[in-house]
Amino acid sequence: MNWLGSLRKQETTHARFICVLGLTILALVVTIFLPPVADSQLASGAAITIVILGLSWLIGWSGQISLGNSGFMAVGAYAAGIWAHHHATTPLVFTLLLATVAGAFSGLVVGIPSTRLRGPYLAGMTLAFAAAITPLAQNFTSMTGGEGGLFFNTLTTPKWFLHQFGGINAAINANAQWSADLAVVIAGVMFFFMANLFHSRSGRAMRLVRDNDVAAELMGINLPRTRTLAFVVAAAFAGLGGALFTLLNATVTPETFPLTLSITLLTLMVLGGIGTLSGAVIGGIIYSFSPNLVSYVNSLTGVNPSSNLGANMQGIIFGSLLILTMLFAPRGIAGVGLKIKHSLQSRRKLESVENVN
Amino acid sequence: MIRVDNLSVSYGAVKALRNVSLQASPGLITAVLGANGAGKTTLLRAISGLVTPQSGNILLGEKSLLRMPTENICRLGLAHVPEGRGVIAELTVEDNLRLGALASKVNLAEGLETQYAQFPALADRRKKYCATLSGGERQMLAMARALIAQPKVLLLDEPSLGLAPLVTSELMKLILQLCESENLTVILVEQNAKSALRIAHNAVVLHLGAVVASGDAKTVADDEDLRRYYLGLVE
Amino acid sequence: MSSFLTSAFMHNIFGGLAQGVIYSLVALSLVIIWQSTHVLNFAQGAMAMLATYIGMTQIDRGIGYWWCLVISVVVGMVFGGVTERVLIRPLYGKPEINPIVVMVGFLGVIEAVATAIWTSTTRNIAAPFSQVFFQSHGNLVYLSPFIIFQVILAVVIMLLVAALFRFTKLGLQLRASALAPEVARLLGVRVNRMLTIGWILSAGVGAIAAVILASGSFGLFPTDMDGVFVAGFIAAAVGGLESPIGAIAGGLLIGLAEQFILAYWSPNVAPLGGIIILVVALMIRPQGIFTRTVGRRV
Repeated sequence: MNWLGSLRKQETTHARFICVLGLTILALVVTIFLPPVADSQLASGAAITIVILGLSWLIGWSGQISLGNSGFMAVGAYAAGIWAHHHATTPLVFTLLLATVAGAFSGLVVGIPSTRLRGPYLAGMTLAFAAAITPLAQNFTSMTGGEGGLFFNTLTTPKWFLHQFGGINAAINANAQWSADLAVVIAGVMFFFMANLFHSRSGRAMRLVRDNDVAAELMGINLPRTRTLAFVVAAAFAGLGGALFTLLNATVTPETFPLTLSITLLTLMVLGGIGTLSGAVIGGIIYSFSPNLVSYVNSLTGVNPSSNLGANMQGIIFGSLLILTMLFAPRGIAGVGLKIKHSLQSRRKLESVENVN
Repeated sequence: MIRVDNLSVSYGAVKALRNVSLQASPGLITAVLGANGAGKTTLLRAISGLVTPQSGNILLGEKSLLRMPTENICRLGLAHVPEGRGVIAELTVEDNLRLGALASKVNLAEGLETQYAQFPALADRRKKYCATLSGGERQMLAMARALIAQPKVLLLDEPSLGLAPLVTSELMKLILQLCESENLTVILVEQNAKSALRIAHNAVVLHLGAVVASGDAKTVADDEDLRRYYLGLVE
Repeated sequence: MSSFLTSAFMHNIFGGLAQGVIYSLVALSLVIIWQSTHVLNFAQGAMAMLATYIGMTQIDRGIGYWWCLVISVVVGMVFGGVTERVLIRPLYGKPEINPIVVMVGFLGVIEAVATAIWTSTTRNIAAPFSQVFFQSHGNLVYLSPFIIFQVILAVVIMLLVAALFRFTKLGLQLRASALAPEVARLLGVRVNRMLTIGWILSAGVGAIAAVILASGSFGLFPTDMDGVFVAGFIAAAVGGLESPIGAIAGGLLIGLAEQFILAYWSPNVAPLGGIIILVVALMIRPQGIFTRTVGRRV
């Protein structure tokens, strides 16, 4: 029985791997056909997907509400940015790894006192963290560049990739597509990692802690450690996502991570579907094309995009979407999709039962 | 007079009450008896509008109480002393009493005076927080808080719970006396069938949400089968 | 004595207390909402900011400061009541994350709308009190008529709120609804109405805090209440979210702590001060932070 279980587990891991691989390749193919602007939007979306994966894990699976993930992003981004600023030639993998570790560490620092907090207290505490972290960047000016931020250029497109492009805009096209491909691959790797984590022993323990912490404790699960671990993982993902995000933009300033980013992240996660893998991807895609969505709404309502209202349309749309989703479809797009699938399945089952009769 | 007709209540798939009917009249105590989970508390909660019945009707006089908000039912002169007495421990004795008088048109000062006269123990503790009261004092406060609004109907949910036998019998005597002097319609839910039957005029026995017997309290008390199987009154 | 009044230490005490009363008001407003509906209103600061914009910009039409203040508070209260009815009421009995998410979304909408209407530039609201510091023997005492006005106004509001809860019938019903909603209903208290009134009151207190903030040297801009909200939340959390007195004391504590960090270290590190106080408070008495969250209703 035991070997069967492990076999099945291996099989599902394989299936997951093939599924993620397929999705990633599909996204890579898509980048070939997208214009450069859309490619760089997609790249940022992939970075945000990584952050949402962590947030979804934290809120959806461990049941801890965090409004501080923009703070974790900032930590990762500054770690990567400071390093990249001084050591431009370091391999990208190393810079990203450094950011991930820095993010994880900040998650540990926030996570440990947070194990004593629940619900709104936790949300407020993490919000306070996010609000306190960017002013810090302005304090250590010599390291962070203060108000003006840091600039770096680490994402150089390799020659072999560049050679495949021709025409006047070859460099622009190649750079945009390269960064999109890079971001998609990293997001794919992180997605696979999170998919396995969701279904791992820790993932199940996490859900038990969320649903019934007393029962979890009775079963020998160490509550503070499990809760802190959830924060560490989420912060590591946020750190990596934040680093990727800033490396793509080649700059990091205190303004890169405003408090509103936490709201945006929450919106994307809720819109996609709390605690679902597909929801994180949906959220990332929505983020990628939110500029298009905003300009579409602007043109639909006849608002001048450069007017005051037009410039704030994104905040209005995202905030309203967050409210409406929570009021009317709290499980998000993934939840609605799942519901449709289930109702179709049960109808099919009903039909087959009727046929038997 | 209060009349319950064919009342059914469900909590999801669980049927808490099935076609329960009963009638309670002014000046009389109607005891509702039965074991844990028989549906006694649910019956009172349905009358007060805290749970919505599936079917059936509840009439206070000629007026149906169905779908009426609890706050309004209270204003019709129905006082419900809930299970566990519902004394708000974080408020003082006097604040609890003031709260009881709020929804009615009675004069607060007079009402307080009447209740303090009736329950002298409360008068001594009027400024004390209720967290400091004993079980018996809390029960008195709960009674006083219900009576201060001068209700016509009094619903009592397990008043004897957690009280010493001596205190219980005092309390039961008081309930009977109030019922007669104020011409109150009393519905008394009790697990302690012995004490309840001693003062009740009528009795209804519930089992798993259905009425298994009803009638004159004396008849119920003397029925050997009822005593044995439903009331736990076998010596 | 006079040299003591003009010392750097007293400067920080005065500055900290002046900022602290604003935090105390916000914390108090959060506690009122928390007690009545067990929701932590993340949009509290933004709602107050919007009310302040609507009210205080009436100065442009030649309406006096005091009337504008009244308009701000009334608008804030209406805003609070409508928010409870429309956004919060459908969420009673849902997981606690739902109202948090909704109010965070509302925060985003309000700030975006305010920026769209009034831009993000800081506006100064001229209060009818001088902001010039007093002098003692040629040295500055870090108190101005405006600071004295702001402290007095805040204290008056706190006393009014306390009196309302302590001595009025409405206050008794509000307390009963918060403590034991079902018992309150059995006694005829219109609990749903009390919840709305709780939000109305809270939003009014919040609006006062926002008006004070905007009238001072900080000025009025769409995100001006963000930091104040965070500090107010921490103040309320240190006091346990249940206790109005704790919230007020917490607000003063956070105000003083920030002022001293700001003076002796750096203004950029000041927001960390609040977090550190919260963490320390948690370690000293976690049960204070947890009061009644374990057996919570909703």
